[in-house]
Amino acid sequence: MTRALCGKRSPCSWLVLGMSLILLTACQANAKEDGTVLTFSGSALGAEGTLLALQLERFMRENPDLHVRVLRTPEGATQRHQLYVQWLNARVGDPDVLQLDVVWTPEFAAAGWILPLDRFKPAVGDFFPATIEANSWAGKLYGLPWFVDVGLLYRRTDLVPREPRNLDDMVALARAAQSRRGGPRYGIVWQGARYEGLVTTFIEYLGAFGGRIIDDQGKVMLDSPEAVRALTFMRKTLYDDRIAPLDVLTWHEEEGRFAFQNGNAAFMRNWPYPYAAMNDTAQSRVAGKFTIGPMPAAPGGKSTAALGGNQLAINAYTEHADAAYRLIAYLTAPEQMLERAAEVGQYPSRRALFDDGRLSAALATPVEQARRAIESATPRPVTPIYTELSEILQIELHRALVRQAEPEAALRSAAMRINALVERTGMRELMSKKAP
Amino acid sequence: MKSESKLGLVLVAPALGVIALIALFPLGWTLWESLHQHDLRMPWLGQSFIGLGNFAEIMGDPRFWGSLGHTAFFTVVSISLELVLGLFLALAMNRAFRGRGAVRAAILVPWAIPTVVAALLWRFMFESEAGIANAVLLDLGILEKAIVWFIHTGTSWVPVILADVWKTTPFVALLLLAGLQNIDKSLYEAASMDGAGAWWQLTHITIPLLKHAILVTLIFRTLDAFRVFDLIYVLTGGGPGTSTEPVALYAFNALLQNLRFGYGSAVSVVIFAITFGLAVLYIKGLGVSLQGDER
Repeated sequence: MTRALCGKRSPCSWLVLGMSLILLTACQANAKEDGTVLTFSGSALGAEGTLLALQLERFMRENPDLHVRVLRTPEGATQRHQLYVQWLNARVGDPDVLQLDVVWTPEFAAAGWILPLDRFKPAVGDFFPATIEANSWAGKLYGLPWFVDVGLLYRRTDLVPREPRNLDDMVALARAAQSRRGGPRYGIVWQGARYEGLVTTFIEYLGAFGGRIIDDQGKVMLDSPEAVRALTFMRKTLYDDRIAPLDVLTWHEEEGRFAFQNGNAAFMRNWPYPYAAMNDTAQSRVAGKFTIGPMPAAPGGKSTAALGGNQLAINAYTEHADAAYRLIAYLTAPEQMLERAAEVGQYPSRRALFDDGRLSAALATPVEQARRAIESATPRPVTPIYTELSEILQIELHRALVRQAEPEAALRSAAMRINALVERTGMRELMSKKAP
Repeated sequence: MKSESKLGLVLVAPALGVIALIALFPLGWTLWESLHQHDLRMPWLGQSFIGLGNFAEIMGDPRFWGSLGHTAFFTVVSISLELVLGLFLALAMNRAFRGRGAVRAAILVPWAIPTVVAALLWRFMFESEAGIANAVLLDLGILEKAIVWFIHTGTSWVPVILADVWKTTPFVALLLLAGLQNIDKSLYEAASMDGAGAWWQLTHITIPLLKHAILVTLIFRTLDAFRVFDLIYVLTGGGPGTSTEPVALYAFNALLQNLRFGYGSAVSVVIFAITFGLAVLYIKGLGVSLQGDER
């Protein structure tokens, strides 16, 4: 019976043969290198991939005892996160070095999935303080900032002659631009769909009014008057001032970019990434007619930018922690950061580079404006439960903005649900264990 | 005789084994998980047995009850429309006309398109102010100004229901058509002889004799609609807020976004219990109607 099922010439026997061959080659690939093989997982597509390959090549030439292999992971943040969590739950030692989104570090640190870096004595003072804050948990540093992303206010210089002095001034300038002959349809566009981008937009208004999501003691501050004022202001720009179109409530980064790039908006809240492409006359109608700056503040608050960016961290189950740190130190060195700025336009996380003439030559964006934005950047709440906290916030903010709920009620509900989340996850005990 | 039944058991054993492996084992595992606190992202919480704690949390979450309501609403509205339209299409296709074969094949096209692709098509039509939906409605004078469909609960449901009706009506129509073809033509001839009109024939012959086909269709469609996921995931993502979120999306969120295996499993168990209950109800109904016919 078995012979009939899996005879010598049957497709089934070929399958078995094929599978054993694959297994065999897989084993050989692992055994090939004599020195230490480091695995690295991070953005490896397009220009970023080319640059990474180039830098890793150089690293291996300078460190002949190390071989670095790139483990391909999905480029989508959610998918990559999910894969990491599954691997680390299974205590897999690969990849040795992980590229983390800025909001993942505390989660991975609290779970014990990544190593504290303090024993390697990194020069933390060289980096922007906000980026170090975002990578710290329980008084220890768990990731080194690789590059910085920051929320910027794009402004059409031909329609809006000067930088807004404060948020009300921004509304006035936007309305003036809209009412000009041949002026743009929209005063301002931002990310308002129900996703992470909405939280980053909100954080900037919240900071502008002097509010916070969570204070240093881990207390939820969303039901504060400042938060209500911030959310009410955002809603007012949609329904009363009508500078922002209702469409933004379904928009992500790209929809806003299209609107701005086609000349349909006076202001845009976005990250640095579209700057270079929008200055290309072949694809943009606003080339040479816009600039960037920080989001303005309201009375009682300060100008605030949401902090994004990516970090490098070491897998806690690695067998090559020292080698892994050598790779991180290399990739976050000034030379590599300058090259990254030139090749893919990502901002360095080292402060001193912003005084370096080579950076202004390398970056498409005006360096001084970029520095001002990064210095006003605040991390999103540095807590292991950030992703779930953000989900709650996204829903409640969206409910308020589409007018399913009043800002105050929505924020109270968000605060209540986040407090329940804090209870359920034992955050208080975890926070109290946090070093003084 | 006895050895024959033994042989029978031996012969079905592999099939039963496979069913146990791919159906019962995961189900049992999910049940087991649902009784535990198991949060993949928060290993510091441990993996303790918490009895019905997850179920208590589900019952206390208004978002869950909301999602259940949305699912029921979607199921009832879309299936009602599909049944009426499907019956209409089936009656039309049951008539002899030239090119009937081609029409029957063509009508299946929406059904053959993958749901995600279909959902994307519908999203493009409704998404922007300059989308086709707005343009057509403005041209017809139905709308005075373009609306943003996905920021109001009511208008968000429109593309969702339309897309589902567009996609599944053909399936319903074909099932009903199969039922129609089983009806003895002589009944209609006799009714015509007695002077019955078309409406009387529809309500007194066609629909009563189509009951089985309709019930089968209802079972398939209810169970399908109750588990609706991809269509809404792509079209509205459950928004605005969570006002179009179905239970399947709620479960997906808990299980795969937040990686709460215990809680997510509990939600899956609840969904399973509901769909299972619905299936049992329908099958009972079907059984009763079968007996009724035999008498």
